[in-house]
Amino acid sequence: MRIPLLYCAVAATLIVTGCSAAPTNTPATEQAPGYLAVTDESAPDGGTLELQMTVDNGAATGLDPQLADVATAWQLMSLVYETLVTVGPDFTIEPGLAESWDTPSPTRYVFHLRDDVTFSNGRAMTADDVTGSLNRLLESEGVWRTQIGPVEEVSTVDERTVEVTLSSPYEPFLAALANIPAAVLPMKEVADGSVDLARTMLGTGPFVVESHRQDVSWRFTAREDYWGAGKPAVDTVNIAITGQEQARMAALQNGNADLVMLGNVDAPQLLQGVRGTTVATQATTDFYYLMLNSNAPGGKFSDPRVRRAINIAMDRNAISASALGGLGKPTGATPAGLPGACDPAQLPSATAGLDQARQLLAEAGAENLTFELAVFSTEPAPAIAQVIQQNLARVGITVTIEQLDEGSWSGKVYGEVPATFDAALSWFAGYADAGMVGKWWNPEQAGFNAGFMKPNPELNSVIDAAISTADSAERTTALRELCTAVDEDAQMIPLVTRPALIGYRTDTLSPTLYATEGYGNVFRGVADFRLLTQ
Amino acid sequence: MRLFSWWLRRALSAVVTLFLVSILIFAASRLMPGGFAEVVLGPFASPEQKAEVSARYGLDQNILVQYWLWLTTALTGDFGISMISGEPVTTEFGLRLPVTAELTVAGFAAAICLGVPLGVYTAVRAGRGRTAAVGRLASGLGVSVPEFVLGSIVVFLFSRFALGLTVGGYVPLSEDPGQNLRSMVLPAAVLSVFVIAVTARTTRDAVLTVLVEPYITAAIARGESPWFIVTRHVLRNASIPVVTVLSTITAYLLGGAVIIEYLFNLPGVGSYIVQAVGRRDYAVVQAGVLLAAVVFIVLNTLTDAAAGALDPRFGTGSKARRSR
Repeated sequence: MRIPLLYCAVAATLIVTGCSAAPTNTPATEQAPGYLAVTDESAPDGGTLELQMTVDNGAATGLDPQLADVATAWQLMSLVYETLVTVGPDFTIEPGLAESWDTPSPTRYVFHLRDDVTFSNGRAMTADDVTGSLNRLLESEGVWRTQIGPVEEVSTVDERTVEVTLSSPYEPFLAALANIPAAVLPMKEVADGSVDLARTMLGTGPFVVESHRQDVSWRFTAREDYWGAGKPAVDTVNIAITGQEQARMAALQNGNADLVMLGNVDAPQLLQGVRGTTVATQATTDFYYLMLNSNAPGGKFSDPRVRRAINIAMDRNAISASALGGLGKPTGATPAGLPGACDPAQLPSATAGLDQARQLLAEAGAENLTFELAVFSTEPAPAIAQVIQQNLARVGITVTIEQLDEGSWSGKVYGEVPATFDAALSWFAGYADAGMVGKWWNPEQAGFNAGFMKPNPELNSVIDAAISTADSAERTTALRELCTAVDEDAQMIPLVTRPALIGYRTDTLSPTLYATEGYGNVFRGVADFRLLTQ
Repeated sequence: MRLFSWWLRRALSAVVTLFLVSILIFAASRLMPGGFAEVVLGPFASPEQKAEVSARYGLDQNILVQYWLWLTTALTGDFGISMISGEPVTTEFGLRLPVTAELTVAGFAAAICLGVPLGVYTAVRAGRGRTAAVGRLASGLGVSVPEFVLGSIVVFLFSRFALGLTVGGYVPLSEDPGQNLRSMVLPAAVLSVFVIAVTARTTRDAVLTVLVEPYITAAIARGESPWFIVTRHVLRNASIPVVTVLSTITAYLLGGAVIIEYLFNLPGVGSYIVQAVGRRDYAVVQAGVLLAAVVFIVLNTLTDAAAGALDPRFGTGSKARRSR
């Protein structure tokens, strides 16, 4: 009698497990224009917000915001640090620590600072902090030094005014200022050595760090003296670093977490029907791209015709549908979703047919091309690689997928100059201006790509035009030309955008979430989050 | 004197083994593709940044010099600093060791308290229809279902439905013993299933072997009670394979804890070392593997000593070895 019972228990478990994955609609609707969710202001203040994210800020450069180059670090640091300007839900630039700014000429920006801002040690922020921070960034080794643009001089005009002079017009300047690496730092304390920014976070933001255990947890406390409109709604923010997707989903379901970051594109379906939870699908400007190594052994991709043929064979809609649950958008080099971004359906590769791809391969003598595609093991990269493999099989190209852990992948792709891999899959943060990420197609500026990219002077001039053109109509044209030039160069082929999945408890949390993020900062609105139950 | 000689030989053997392990793990960690600077600083880092980080941690020195520095400092109990957190490796391990120890002790206790009685019971009741069948099925399932499968099912069921126990949300024992117990019951239970099954099967086989020995028949003929026969004759003679398997099980528990720690998001040593491998945090990997090697060597030595104490034929002297 007990044996049948055991069988029944096992069968019931399997049925329950299997049934839960039934496909349903993905909730990605906007609650207000530009917002997936808006905090209910009538909810009470106070309480402890429990968040979970996938990885900690694990950089060897420590906690220095100017050296932070990944969205995870930006997220964490945004609780403590703030920037002169910030990005609104529609990518307009909004006031931050600067209450306003003037642009007397395309190369001059004059920032008027708020007069009520203090660092968390109580000292008032000064214009010298702003000047010193920007000058420090310009002298740093951080990647944002490139994105901040051709800054010629930063000077303090008076106690509340700072002027920045550029050597040439640079349209993404304000967007670049809106990210954490350009945060205003406590330069007086940095100068006198009382603060080591690599080990301590001291900013003007709404929270202070109470404790941190590397790769385990963070605890932030709200500042009572925060300069913004009232102190943050919650008293404390706990962030648990939870590597396993399953554990994060479990924490969300059983109420141990109010909000979790999810990586599985099937998460909305897996959590469908779980009372009190929802998964918001935030569009981002981040996007996956395929690297074709122009320096590959045997010259497999040195012929542009081969690279163009591969680009033509890419079915971006199939990649999104099969590997990203339909949540990614096809994109060109200007990330889809950003103002002025080009239409990927109009690119030469999208309008050409597979016959043209086969013809290009034949002309290049590469009809039976075979190559290895290196991908890291984090989903959905392996799934994307499989779709690419199927895409290319249609034009007679055989792809062998080499799946590696992140460390091995990084070593293989960026470890040697010239690089020895054939092809690799990766993703870029798309940022908040359509021209910013285009810089990475110039290996002379983006040294990390020099191992596998050959400089293309024509492409470089198009990139420069896209970031220096101010007029709206002219800029749209310049960005379209950038997309076209990247499409034909095809050393790095943009594929689809990378969605962010945010699970949260609707019965305990009322968050504020943008519908689209440029800097991958889901925690952007944490100071406004309110708990529905204390 | 014979005993002293035995311990001396084992100690020397342990030192040589640890020395070889240290070479192996040092070489293996350096042969992993992708260096620390590349992995942790990421693709955007400039060559100057990578060089600075390499110099900071001595990774720019000759590999033999690096090994020698590490070995000599490790011998003083200093295993270096984690290149990720900047904290001493011993401090990091000290924070995480209680979690793994708690899991391992719970699994070991379950193996002894449940596995051994279950094995004895199913052996004594062997051949009596349903009990034996249930015992075989249960131990068969316990051995064959991998932890990640069982753990995934448990995580799913206990997070989806309010079944009274919590998944995740680890609280240190020192902070709140009650909450700690609540958060550790499920991981410990999942980790224990395999070891209980293996212990039960081993005990059952050992007991069955002993039960057909002539001295058991003689004891029955003398009219001794079943309880007396089991406790005085069977258990002692069946204990050597059980002791051996318990040693193996402890090693298994340390390995299994890695998966459980990941599944239930427990900040233990196992998941920490795996994470360190991914990030090429060499000092942590080297110290972790060396620590594991020490644990295994100590366990094996203690097992051999225990086996010798239980049965002189497995003893420590030269005669004992000849008699095997």
